[in-house]
Amino acid sequence: MNPKVGDALEPFRFGPINPQAMVVWSEILKDPNPIHLDVEAVKAMGLGIRRINQGPANLAYLVNGVLQSFPRARIEKIVNRFVGNVLEDDLIVVSGIMTEVEVLADGQRVACDMVLAVEGRGPAVSGTVQVFIPC
Amino acid sequence: MPMIADPPDVTGYSLSGKTYTISTEENARLCASVGIAPARDGTAHPIYFYVATQVGMSETVAGLCAVCNFDVNDGPLLGGCSVEFDEPLMVDTEYAVTGEILSLTRKASKKLGIMDLLEYRLELSRNGRKVLTATNNWILPRGPAQ
Repeated sequence: MNPKVGDALEPFRFGPINPQAMVVWSEILKDPNPIHLDVEAVKAMGLGIRRINQGPANLAYLVNGVLQSFPRARIEKIVNRFVGNVLEDDLIVVSGIMTEVEVLADGQRVACDMVLAVEGRGPAVSGTVQVFIPC
Repeated sequence: MPMIADPPDVTGYSLSGKTYTISTEENARLCASVGIAPARDGTAHPIYFYVATQVGMSETVAGLCAVCNFDVNDGPLLGGCSVEFDEPLMVDTEYAVTGEILSLTRKASKKLGIMDLLEYRLELSRNGRKVLTATNNWILPRGPAQ
């Protein structure tokens, strides 16, 4: 891949979101919040009828979308906002546009505007990611 | 309607103190959960910037909320985060976690009513050398606008 400003990253698609993965994330994050684990708790809080994925897992999908297009890249910076929820059984797609490309002696530095969107609902995570791609 | 107390002055509150090691097995579980294979060069998934700092800081989320006079059962929201890596994270490597609260600021929103915006910075270091700096922003809803 020869990065150029304005180029789109190959979309990264994932899903349906498996609630068993939320159990894994709850254990790793040591976060027992029932909105990730118990449908009845979600209903009781008036948050819908499906378990809610952990925000950092959503950000991990966004990172995957970057690494899919730049498999040898090293992540240098991430800035993101969580603007919506990803729920169990959702399908997500990560897309991105290259906004800066800097050619260096030992590689390239590329910045991208990224969005993770839930199919049928819209964005859940937005942000920018900067990577370094060695020669 | 009861008055909402002013947010406490928590700027500078230390979140330092623990260490975090990303095990090979845990990294593999996390990677599998998000649909990719773990790297073969010993690097961990980059999202561990969040996991390692958040789990390794000196307070749990509930404890951090309590420091801000906020009940975790009232639904804190992770608004966003940022990170700058000096080097990639590696599995089976012990990282020291340090950090502090940067600010707790009262705001009013049409959607969320009165809320406090919590910002804190966490760093990972290895053998005294900084590996990354992460900044997290949380929204602590306090109730309807008054």
